[in-house]
Amino acid sequence: MSAPTSARTLSPAADASALTAGPLLSINGLTKHFPLKGGLFGQSRGVVRAVDGINFDVAEGETLGIVGESGCGKSTTARLLVDLISPDSGSVILGGRTLGVDLTVRDLRRQVQMVFQDSYASLNPRLTMQDAIAFGPMVNGMARDKAVALARDLLARVGLDPGRFAGRYPHELSGGQRQRVNIARALAFSPKIVVLDEAVSALDKSVEAQVLNLLADLKAELGLTYIFISHDLNVVRYMSDRVMVMYLGQVAEIGPVDALYAAPAHPYSQALLAAMPSMDPDRRTMEAPLAGDPPNPINPPSGCRFHTRCRQADGVCSVTVPVLHALPQKGHLASCHLHIPGSGHTGAAPRRELAP
Amino acid sequence: MLVYVLKRLFYTLPVAFGVSVVCFLLVHIAPGDPLTSVLPPDASAQLQADMRKIYGFDRPLIVQYGLWVLKTLQGDLGVSIATGRPVAAELRLALGNTLMLAVLATLIGFVLGCLFGFVAGYFRDSWLDKLASFVSIIGVSVPHYWLGMVLVIIFSVQLNWLPATGAGPGGSADWAWDWVHVRHLILPAVTMSVIPMGIVARTVRALVADILSQEFITGQRAKGLLDSGVFRHVVKNAAPTALAVMGLQLGYLLGGSILIETVFSWPGTGFLLGQAIFQRDLPLLQGTILVLAMFFVALNLLVDVVQTMLDPRVQRA
Amino acid sequence: MSSASFETIATEGTSPGYWSGVLRRLGRDPVAMFALLVILAMVLMAVFAPLIGPADPYRGQMLRRLRPIGTPGFPLGTDELGRDMLTRLIYGARLSLLMGVTPVFIAFFIGSAIGITAGYLGGKVNTVLMRTVDVFFAFPSVLLAIALSGALGAGIFNGLLSLTIVFIPPIARIAESVTTAVRKIEYVEAARASGASALTIVRVHVLGNVIGPIFVYATGLISVSLILASGLSFLGLGVKPPEPEWGLMLNTLRNAIYVQPWVAALPGAMIFITSISFNLLSDGLRSAMDLKS
Repeated sequence: MSAPTSARTLSPAADASALTAGPLLSINGLTKHFPLKGGLFGQSRGVVRAVDGINFDVAEGETLGIVGESGCGKSTTARLLVDLISPDSGSVILGGRTLGVDLTVRDLRRQVQMVFQDSYASLNPRLTMQDAIAFGPMVNGMARDKAVALARDLLARVGLDPGRFAGRYPHELSGGQRQRVNIARALAFSPKIVVLDEAVSALDKSVEAQVLNLLADLKAELGLTYIFISHDLNVVRYMSDRVMVMYLGQVAEIGPVDALYAAPAHPYSQALLAAMPSMDPDRRTMEAPLAGDPPNPINPPSGCRFHTRCRQADGVCSVTVPVLHALPQKGHLASCHLHIPGSGHTGAAPRRELAP
Repeated sequence: MLVYVLKRLFYTLPVAFGVSVVCFLLVHIAPGDPLTSVLPPDASAQLQADMRKIYGFDRPLIVQYGLWVLKTLQGDLGVSIATGRPVAAELRLALGNTLMLAVLATLIGFVLGCLFGFVAGYFRDSWLDKLASFVSIIGVSVPHYWLGMVLVIIFSVQLNWLPATGAGPGGSADWAWDWVHVRHLILPAVTMSVIPMGIVARTVRALVADILSQEFITGQRAKGLLDSGVFRHVVKNAAPTALAVMGLQLGYLLGGSILIETVFSWPGTGFLLGQAIFQRDLPLLQGTILVLAMFFVALNLLVDVVQTMLDPRVQRA
Repeated sequence: MSSASFETIATEGTSPGYWSGVLRRLGRDPVAMFALLVILAMVLMAVFAPLIGPADPYRGQMLRRLRPIGTPGFPLGTDELGRDMLTRLIYGARLSLLMGVTPVFIAFFIGSAIGITAGYLGGKVNTVLMRTVDVFFAFPSVLLAIALSGALGAGIFNGLLSLTIVFIPPIARIAESVTTAVRKIEYVEAARASGASALTIVRVHVLGNVIGPIFVYATGLISVSLILASGLSFLGLGVKPPEPEWGLMLNTLRNAIYVQPWVAALPGAMIFITSISFNLLSDGLRSAMDLKS
């Protein structure tokens, strides 16, 4: 895709974001470690720190993009959001209610739904499209005929003629059509938030564009909130209002998409964005922006996890873990010592003195 | 590597424990008072009381199990009701005979199986393949005890080339590696080799076909059918699994020799088992099964470790 | 013989058209169809034995014991008690087939239940269930069958019980393996994210996709079961005289090999023919299931 344009013109609801009292979804200190079994007694030989204490908010009606390399924890985060995996610590707060305290898993699942990357594997090969979509509502108590009617209605909404598609099986549909069905299935719950985990990554480019437009239309029609996970930076820019950059299970930077793409603050974001192939011959990338090997999520580097590959690393970076800190621009945060006044980094501003 | 061995050993312990529990319970699932299972019916009251004390039949099951395990670890597997001799002694003799038979049968089966399997896999879908596959399917489908009978009919009754039963002239228990004795070994070993032959053949066929379809296109094969490089490559990749299968087959033969040994009256553990069943001699039954099962478990472990040593990619869960 | 594993088939393609495709492919396999015919013949023989059998399988006259094949009136000879072999062989199909097929049939249900439960629930439940299964799997099948039968005593019921226990572990293992593979697929994850109960998810999403491969695996065990069941009777466990059953007949005719060898060998031939037919059919079924061919 050339000359990425923001998707804001397609989802006017996003402009009116942050009008509600607080964020729709709030994630605090979410952590998930996967134990590695080994050794004589099958004891733990260390953990894969897939997600390590992340914090972010999602406002109602916006699209939050999540980007990062493979292994940064995007997919684990997605599964934590719909409780397919249980977090080790941290909280998920939806509409002011905390999961496990005053919000049940059942309620969470009714409000947060997910669309997966593999459109074929997402559908039971033995169920018709209509049955696949109707399954969710029926499980939650809807009568069968009502659920089927809902399914057919949703098929139409995602652009598939129910007369032709309701009775078909997954192998009889194309990838793009299947993904539309998956979206319809997620919508059957009337969720507030839809997590799209690389939902268009496996589609052909032309089909991808159609599905993206569908997603934008649905968001406007139904007032949805999206969490859009992808490794494709262009698509993320097109779809998102804000974007979160993850690195090795932690949040590196988060902020409004245009501001972040124009002026990334975290050295990792800078490198990531610089690695995007550019159409402009004057902005050719001459050297690899990232040095070193991708690190090991089992034994992450000390201090700031990125310091082993960072050109601007300083002494403090290998010692202290930087926290997510607000930058002067509104709504833009980065976890980098460079931008934390008084962190001890030679490039950082001195700590502002308190007025006597 | 050592860690892996120790780990596998550690995982085997619960299984061995479970196996011993099953063997222990055999006496108790037999209908009637367990005491009558371990004593001849005409035992005196005094003997009954003694036995009850030794086995601990009036104590809770756990205690009985503990006592039984302790006795077993000391080498005391009880006393055979029929012969009055210690089970362990009977077993020692019989085990040697069965091992001889089973090892020979496994080797024959392995060699023939590799041969048929290789031919079948190499010339896949040709008439050679169909023929070799047919032979191997016969191997796994034929009731081996019946095959033994048929071979006895042909070679003993009709042609009188080989003896029908026993392990030596006069059915002696002393073995010597001379023709007089070895001729008794031929028919049972060949009969027994049929099953491992069939299974090894099927496995090798699948392996060879798989390996060849991976690396080589037909053009290359047309170049040199017996190209030694191709051959060596196939052998190297197929060997670990094939050897593992052979090892497991040896275990099955050891444990399942009863049918063949009954047909040929071969004085091995299987024959002993048959006697024990016929005479309802439960101590002998229990002891034999325990030893054979443990042998199988140990063999499985050995095969597992050797296979991993030969091919570190393979790690059975 | 195919290289497609059961896990691959369960996870990759069992849409509703799949099994009819399998049956069609199987129908075009001459060897498998011939084997099927033989099996059907055996079954029909067993069912209609009273109508086909020329004589009474239990009545014999010592005067005409061990007559050879081709004796007028006794086309396949007579056994050691003077009973007509042809009739005994025909009636023998009943018990032999029963003892061979029933254990696998019952083990299919029990083993599948255990395996699917262990596979879907995972964790501690899986460990406990599968370790227990492993203990029984640690015995060579012949040995376990004999151990159980030997301890319980002879008889049809005990034989059936022992054999069923022997076949539960392998089926449970396959069921667990296949279910674990299916459980990881996205549509099962999506079903879990819908808040459905485990039972509903297994019923709607898992069962339909795993039961096919498990069933095919189980049918592959029938030939082994036939041989094992007859083997038990051959040893004096299982079926008791005077019932006609091929393995038992081999036992009682053993000493007759010196007198009428080919008559004595007949029951084993029946076991062989039936067993190889089941094997050929099972192989054909697995080939037909292979998605790549």
